Amino acid sequence: MIETRILVIDDEPQIHRFLRPALEASGYVVDRADTGTEGLRLAATRDPAVILLDLGLPDLDGQDVLRRLRANSAVPVVVLSARDQDSEKVQALDAGADDYVEKPFSVAELLARVRAALRHARPVNGTASEHFSAGALDLDMARRVVKVAGEPVQLSPREYSLLTLLARDAGRVLTHRQLLTGVWGPAHIHDVQYLRVYVGHLRQKLGVAAGLLATEPGVGYRLLEAM
Amino acid sequence: MDDRRPDPDALIAAAEAETRGRLKIFLGAAPGVGKTWEMLNEARQRRAEGRDVLVGVVETHGRAGTQSELGDLPLLPRKRIEYRGQSLEEFDLETALTRRPDLILIDELAHTNAPGSRHAKRWEDVETLLDLGIHVWATLNVQHLESLNDTVARITGVRVTETLPDRVLEMADELELVDLPPAELQARLREGRIYRPDVATRALDGFFREGNLAALREIALRRVAEHVDGDVRDYMRRQGISGPWPARDRILALIGAEGTAPAVIREAKRLADALHAPWIALHVERGTDPMALVAPLELAAQLGAEIDVRAGPDLVAVVIEAATRHNATQIVIGRARPSPLRRITGRTLAAALLRQAPDLALHIVPVTDARPRPIALERPPWIAWGAAAALVAALTATGAALQQAVPMGSMGMVYLAGVVAAGSLAGLWIALFTAALGFLAWDFFFLPPLYRLTIGSVDDLVALLVFAVVAVLSGTLASRVRAAARSGQVRIESLRRIAQFSRRLGEPTTEAEMMAEIARQGAGILGRAVVLALDGEDLRLRAAEPPADTLDEASWAAARWCAAQHEPAGRGTATLPSAAWRFLPMRTVRGQWGVLGARAVPDRPLDTTTVQTLSALADQAGTALERVRLANDAAQSAAMADTQKLRTALLNSLSHDLRTPLTGIRGAAETLQMEGLDPAQRRDLLVSIQEDTGRMTRFLANIMDLTRLESGAIQPRFAAVALPELIDAAVARVPGLDTVAIDIAPDLPPVRADAALLEQVLVNVLDNAHRYAPLGSLVRISARIGARISGGRVTIGVADEGVGIPAADLPHVFDSFYRARRGDRVAPGTGLGLAIARGLMTAMGGTIEAISPRPDAPRDGSPGTLIQIGIDREGGAA
Repeated sequence: MIETRILVIDDEPQIHRFLRPALEASGYVVDRADTGTEGLRLAATRDPAVILLDLGLPDLDGQDVLRRLRANSAVPVVVLSARDQDSEKVQALDAGADDYVEKPFSVAELLARVRAALRHARPVNGTASEHFSAGALDLDMARRVVKVAGEPVQLSPREYSLLTLLARDAGRVLTHRQLLTGVWGPAHIHDVQYLRVYVGHLRQKLGVAAGLLATEPGVGYRLLEAM
Repeated sequence: MDDRRPDPDALIAAAEAETRGRLKIFLGAAPGVGKTWEMLNEARQRRAEGRDVLVGVVETHGRAGTQSELGDLPLLPRKRIEYRGQSLEEFDLETALTRRPDLILIDELAHTNAPGSRHAKRWEDVETLLDLGIHVWATLNVQHLESLNDTVARITGVRVTETLPDRVLEMADELELVDLPPAELQARLREGRIYRPDVATRALDGFFREGNLAALREIALRRVAEHVDGDVRDYMRRQGISGPWPARDRILALIGAEGTAPAVIREAKRLADALHAPWIALHVERGTDPMALVAPLELAAQLGAEIDVRAGPDLVAVVIEAATRHNATQIVIGRARPSPLRRITGRTLAAALLRQAPDLALHIVPVTDARPRPIALERPPWIAWGAAAALVAALTATGAALQQAVPMGSMGMVYLAGVVAAGSLAGLWIALFTAALGFLAWDFFFLPPLYRLTIGSVDDLVALLVFAVVAVLSGTLASRVRAAARSGQVRIESLRRIAQFSRRLGEPTTEAEMMAEIARQGAGILGRAVVLALDGEDLRLRAAEPPADTLDEASWAAARWCAAQHEPAGRGTATLPSAAWRFLPMRTVRGQWGVLGARAVPDRPLDTTTVQTLSALADQAGTALERVRLANDAAQSAAMADTQKLRTALLNSLSHDLRTPLTGIRGAAETLQMEGLDPAQRRDLLVSIQEDTGRMTRFLANIMDLTRLESGAIQPRFAAVALPELIDAAVARVPGLDTVAIDIAPDLPPVRADAALLEQVLVNVLDNAHRYAPLGSLVRISARIGARISGGRVTIGVADEGVGIPAADLPHVFDSFYRARRGDRVAPGTGLGLAIARGLMTAMGGTIEAISPRPDAPRDGSPGTLIQIGIDREGGAA
């Protein structure tokens, strides 16, 4: 089995103290960085599969670290944030972070996010990604067929492209900006009300599967991989 | 087809008429024709149709027919007004406005209200009612119309004193003529149905003569016909039907201070009515008494004129310029008595206008009943006459003394100089007087034959005559220059005052100061001034000069009216003129905020100039107050923003400081539940939970400490404290603080402090240094006796090698929840440590300060921070 490396960049020793045993118990190899500079160095040398990044670092701003990482790497980054300002999270996600958890977070949730991040990082292999299925929802992107509990559902083109966008990154949060750009184009990145309306329609049409479409208040939406 | 489009002005007027109440006037030629009866009769029909009719005021004059016609119409109780011991009953406008009927009946539109009422005239009450959308029916006798005042007086020999502007009649949407042939009216009078028999007999010989009644009836009929004509015209204009009327006329009336003004105004009004033309009352300022113009200009304004006041040395040029400016086609002037000189030269105003503006129609109003009014030429004081005589004598003496040097013929020039000097210093009369004296003196003393008033040669005669002409001309010119300079002076004075307002009103920074300054400036103009500001709905007196607590009731009423209507009120205006004060509205761009009141004192009368100056003050006051308010708003919102920032910082800090240990506790607890941990890891996680719990406890304790400190609940227990031990203990209490250099002066005396509290101060300061300094850098602790100048206090310094504190932040480092920010990051910690340290030091009578960069910082290294604690040594300052 290939070892999966996870780099944790956080200045709080207490975080490292429980994250290392928790991650190791789940079968990952853990690298620890207490500063942004050290984190960037380890990211370059150790080639981690996922990076857990705290936004409040003593030497560099977490957003800076993220930007520098993204300059030459597509490694999945899950942001650990003690800040409750949504704008920070959105900024990080827009800057290329794959997901976030808010302190104090649940270890189980963090591990789930790490697994999702790892899945998305794997190279897409053909038809597998053209099909999404979770709970009552069944989405066949090759044939443009959406079924809920086995019954076909009629979606408008916009609703459909919104749903597929979320399904391709299922489990990940997509920011308003990312969704608006993907469905309506970059001219509409501020028209968040479009999203609310279409997500409302989509939920109505998905019926029993509507619960899969989760709202991340102030940030965006996420299509859950399981009910 | 463009010119068949409806006239927009006419459409706008029609639209306005829809929101306003409609006015119907029952017009009669004379009292007793049955106007009131007719009005009541029709009103009862309307009431029967279900309309809300209210009798506002009806004078039945005890006539039985009228009384019975009142029937069951609801009556508005009259308002009682006490005036000079008399109790007068008047129409109650306020109650009528609250009651808001659909239609209100108002008898005798021309009635003059008792002093102290809201308006001077009843028709002004009616205007208010109409403005508020209440329909009004009113009665009026034709002889009360302002423009007919002269005509009626000429026909009947009775001058009616209660007049009302013609535009009130024009305002009427409907005009009903209540007509009765003169013979029938006389019959009624004889039957005693109009007046008591004794009065009736006298009336029949006077006002009610058949000839009078016939003439009045004709006038009334003509007015109604004109009104109907106007209605048709309006209709045609609204509908875009092209009519037979010519291009619009505009009439310019030249109003002087002479007695001709009222006649000119009435003539212009009649002309304007006949031509359906707008008219302008022009006054050209030429050093006349401004008081004399108040009444004529107000009359003109009442009669619907636009007022234009101009200044300039050449009357004719100014009139022609104004005529061109207003597109006037006709000019009305009074026939003033021209000066004899002008009569000879033909340079009367009329002649000049005819010559220079041949395309203007000129109307010259004969002044038949003009009370001869002395022309207000200032009379030079006796001293001026004496001085002029002395001047001539002096010139003569000089001439005599210089007889050898100055040729006799040149003496004329010397006297001429005297004439010009006298004219420019003392005016026309003195100039002419000096010219006459000079003429005589020259002839008597210098021209042969000497000492006789006869002239020897033709040359001398010519010289004398030339002198006379030149002297009179130059004297006149010099005096005119003086007059112009004087009137310029008055203007400069008022400009200077206005400029002064701007300067003075630029200084105050609070609203109260501003209002006081406005009152001061107002008092400077008129003697007494008050500033009343709107406080919600009502006015409050905010400043007065000289100080006053309140105003009388009538003035309050005028002030409230002014505030509500945004128009001047009180003395000298049409609204509540009996009030002692004049009120001017003060408004800002956001709307009305108050009124400025001014009251004349004996030596400073309320004339047009002061009113203009007051208006300028009121205008500037609005702007100035707006400035103060905006400045205050800006300061307040800046303060609000600061408070908001502090709250946000506090919440962020609390949230961060609670969340970090909570994350550790939660993470460790959940990890403990996982499989596959070895015992060492489990132990470590349990320890970490313990540590984080301790951290939270400390944080909460810090908050408690700070609260107690701020409420003064901490009382230090003083003792002699040895610093070396205390410093060691403090260092040991700061986790992770490994690289410390301690430098204590060998002969350091003990200090007077509470050992526990001082240790806490040190722990907090050290903790802070540790957090902000780079990992592994050195923290230096020093303790020594301070300079003698500081009273021999002991100074403890804690210096770090961190990034230092920006100068702007230094004053705040001891504030609660303050954290030096570095970029976007906040160093971990409570933001309370230094605040607590300062609180404790203050409680112990010590000091604490931050210095950054530290004094011994290397030039190319980190600036670092030095925290300096000062504390008394045991035994007090030695």
